[in-house]
Amino acid sequence: MFLPGVLPPAVADSVSTAAFSPGLSLQLHAGAIAPEAAVLIALLTCLLVDLAGEKAASRWVPPLCYAGLGTALVLLALQWDGPQDPAFLGSFLADNLAIAFRAVVAASTLLSLLLSWRYVEQSGTPVGEYAAILLAATLGAMFLCGATDLVSIFISLETLSVSSYLLSGYMKRDARSSEAALKYLLVGSAAAAVFLYGASLLYGLTGGGTSLTEVASALQTSASPVTALALVFVLATVAFKIAAVPFHQWTPDVYEGSPTPVVAFLSVGSKAAGFALALRLLVGCFESFDAQWKLLFTVLAVLSMVLGNVVALAQTSMKRMLAYSSIGQAGFVMIGLVCGTEDGFAAMVLYMAAYLFMNLGAFACIILFSLRTGSDRIADYAGLYQKDPLITLGLSLCLLSLGGIPPMLGFFGKIYLFFAGWADHQYLLVVVGLVTSVVSIYYYISVIKMMVVKEPQEASDVVKAYPEISWNLAGLQPLRAALITCLLATAVGGVLSNPLFTWANSTVAGTPILMHAIG
Amino acid sequence: MLSALLAIPFLGALGLMLWPGELSLEKVRRAALALLLLQLAWSLRLLLLFDPSCGGMQLQESIPWIESLGLEYRLGVDGLSLPLVLVNAGLTLVSAYASTTVTQRPRLYFALLLVISGAVNGAFLSLNLLLFFLFYELELIPLWLLISVWGGARRAYAATKFLIFTAVSGGLILAAFLGLALVTGEADFSLTPVLSGQLGMGTQLVLLGALLVGFGIKIPLVPFHTWLPDAHTEASTPVSVLLAGVLLKLGTYGLLRFCLGLFPEAWAVAAPWLAIWAAVSVLYGSLAAIAQRDMKRMVAYSSVGHMGYVLLAAAAATPVSLLGAEFQMVSHGLISALLFLLVGEVYATTGTRDLDVLRGLLNPERGLPLTGSLMIVGVMASAGLPGMAGFISEFLVFRGSLAAFPVATLASMVGSGLTAVYFLLLVNRVFFGRLAVTPPEPGGPLDIRLPAVPLVRHLPAMVLTLLVVAIGLAPSGLGYLSEQATTAMSQFPALLAAISGKPA
Repeated sequence: MFLPGVLPPAVADSVSTAAFSPGLSLQLHAGAIAPEAAVLIALLTCLLVDLAGEKAASRWVPPLCYAGLGTALVLLALQWDGPQDPAFLGSFLADNLAIAFRAVVAASTLLSLLLSWRYVEQSGTPVGEYAAILLAATLGAMFLCGATDLVSIFISLETLSVSSYLLSGYMKRDARSSEAALKYLLVGSAAAAVFLYGASLLYGLTGGGTSLTEVASALQTSASPVTALALVFVLATVAFKIAAVPFHQWTPDVYEGSPTPVVAFLSVGSKAAGFALALRLLVGCFESFDAQWKLLFTVLAVLSMVLGNVVALAQTSMKRMLAYSSIGQAGFVMIGLVCGTEDGFAAMVLYMAAYLFMNLGAFACIILFSLRTGSDRIADYAGLYQKDPLITLGLSLCLLSLGGIPPMLGFFGKIYLFFAGWADHQYLLVVVGLVTSVVSIYYYISVIKMMVVKEPQEASDVVKAYPEISWNLAGLQPLRAALITCLLATAVGGVLSNPLFTWANSTVAGTPILMHAIG
Repeated sequence: MLSALLAIPFLGALGLMLWPGELSLEKVRRAALALLLLQLAWSLRLLLLFDPSCGGMQLQESIPWIESLGLEYRLGVDGLSLPLVLVNAGLTLVSAYASTTVTQRPRLYFALLLVISGAVNGAFLSLNLLLFFLFYELELIPLWLLISVWGGARRAYAATKFLIFTAVSGGLILAAFLGLALVTGEADFSLTPVLSGQLGMGTQLVLLGALLVGFGIKIPLVPFHTWLPDAHTEASTPVSVLLAGVLLKLGTYGLLRFCLGLFPEAWAVAAPWLAIWAAVSVLYGSLAAIAQRDMKRMVAYSSVGHMGYVLLAAAAATPVSLLGAEFQMVSHGLISALLFLLVGEVYATTGTRDLDVLRGLLNPERGLPLTGSLMIVGVMASAGLPGMAGFISEFLVFRGSLAAFPVATLASMVGSGLTAVYFLLLVNRVFFGRLAVTPPEPGGPLDIRLPAVPLVRHLPAMVLTLLVVAIGLAPSGLGYLSEQATTAMSQFPALLAAISGKPA
């Protein structure tokens, strides 16, 4: 259906018109966005198939999405350590950082889609449309990971954001979903406006350039207050995208109201893109303001870890609890960002990959639970071990991994972050991280206590009326496949995590801006 | 060779969980017992392969794991860890043997038991700080589950308290290990002692302090002990056996191996304060034990006191005192396991552990004569009567520490005397006098007739009693096993001073 190397029409056109000036065609390097092209083709085909009616859509959309995202992942693997020429006149760069984060985004979309089919089916919304919007969000997030020009950053950021607003309001008959979409839209637009303002300041400072390399060289020499203002604006956008405290207020409401599979994507894919953006902008451009943004990020990280993990203690809704926990987890990842050492960056990449599996595994379990019972309350999980051992085991292991208990994958990711932080003398961050980890263990373990420790007679009414377990309904098999994949990766991936460490380290080694920052 | 000690319990636990089809309690228990017997046999084989005349690490195994973290799978055994590995194998077996009343979810129960045993083996054997930490944390969740699923009425509270305390202890230990590895600039997390040339004394003391509090929570030392009596009271008898006999030893082992072993110079500076801390812990534990009305809490507080001896011995760090510490760890493991087993037996038969209501259980016809007799031997050993394991270890500890810290040692000796006081109170109330298991009324009728305990159920207690007496009568075997290691450890400061070219 789609062959590697075949380019989307627009790109092919531009290549052929550029044939007259060989210099231009060389500068385009359109092959860099081949993975995105695969996603785009899958998106367009989904829309076309959707025209043929709901029945054809539910038959053909899932394989199309798998094919598109699978091809994208293969193409990304082929790009690894490849030539790093700036594509599209310097607005996109396929360095290893971009490849790693795009892979995390694509994988998170793939897993989220696997979790979605049954959910979408049950809510009676069109499948093709849903998949198309999610793929559009993926496209935006993937472009964002590699964008090296203020204009391409903004466009991909908006592609991601607008699709996310649509997705979070996708259950239009549910008032909470509409509320979530509206909140997200308002706060997101404000953040976008702030970013545009910051970008316009940078545009002025460079004297009319938008490429990040120009911005970086202009910032080397200028130290006016305007630069500081631009830094704050850019930082606010990044903080909004990764949901760092105090730019997190949208998270709990959006997480609670949005369809759960969408939340799964937002919590991993969107966040990964945000961290890639943070690395490109802060490490790549604001190097001369190292001390300032690191201080700001230290504050953000401490606030995120403390507030995210402490407020999560008080939650009664599973999705809200995971929302606050994701804020706390973002705080942990920021430790790596603040370090700015090779280990720090590698630990970020590693933790994002680990987070992909453990968080999506947890979401797979809560989606399955809510599909079977319609409930999302933590108290309703009481006594679940008797009725549904798979959810109990999966959720327990994923939550333990999020809490950083050995020998799960999350333990190795977290210890690497702390290791990197300590090596860079970020004692405050590491100590706060250790303390809040203990706090997080408490609320993760309370869920496990609900499921595992409560005896049958203490089980909740929901669990007492638990339906017979069957995997026959349409869309449940993919969900099970995703759940088991995440579960295996979380449980066994930790012990066998040496390749992951090598991968994270070579991500950093194959990224010029990071190597430059390390010095 | 050593990896088998991890593989047997871990793979066994996995096998128990994944075994297709229904398994009755008896089948699961037998399978677990078979696995644990295999583990014990393997540990004994280790004993034959071990060369006691050599002081260093033996039978080392090493596989690189995650190099960028400095995490290496590196195992080894010496005279300090080998006896503890044996105690672990033996007591887990005893604990599984005593688990006859697990009616709910037996598979999970025995799998968790095996995981704990494997994790403890891993912690004792690992020669890499991060690997130790990994195993130290690994045992946390299974034990939490064992207490919170199969515990008493207030089990949720006790289990959560245990979890939080131990998680904090883990955090402190990790911080100290990271600090040590990165401040010295050699991120290999090996067990190399740090010298004052590499690291200033202030930093050393801070790191040592973090480790001390971390292990102090686990041991437990006053004032970090409050989780222990609660955990013991709510845990079932086999879990108490494991907790007191094996898991507390992780703390004391950490004290010797990591606090003393990694920071010998800072240790020497802190030693006088540590001796005082030890004496306070001993006296507080003993006095608190006197005040208890619950037999299990009393034994739990006696653990607090008796673990203080290990800190005292470690503070003195003479060859004799360190050998005493090793003896104390082994004999406390055996004795406390014995006492918890017997208390559990009394509770199972009478339904109460209250010292105010139990009377005269030693009654030969209607009481629990065998339990009572074994209990008397157990408390005699615990109070350190000659001919028992407790005597040897306390004698060595006090003999080794007296010269260095006379006041603290004398205070600890008083604590040892108090042991006799509270255990005599216990034995006198519960076992002597007229049989009764309800609050005594003047002129009331004779109390019920207690069912006889079958002899097989007393098998582990009798084996433990025999071991306690055997170590007491012939301590040279264990001494021979550990002497080289403990002597080498006591000479660390002098050796280091010689290396760094300063007078000791």
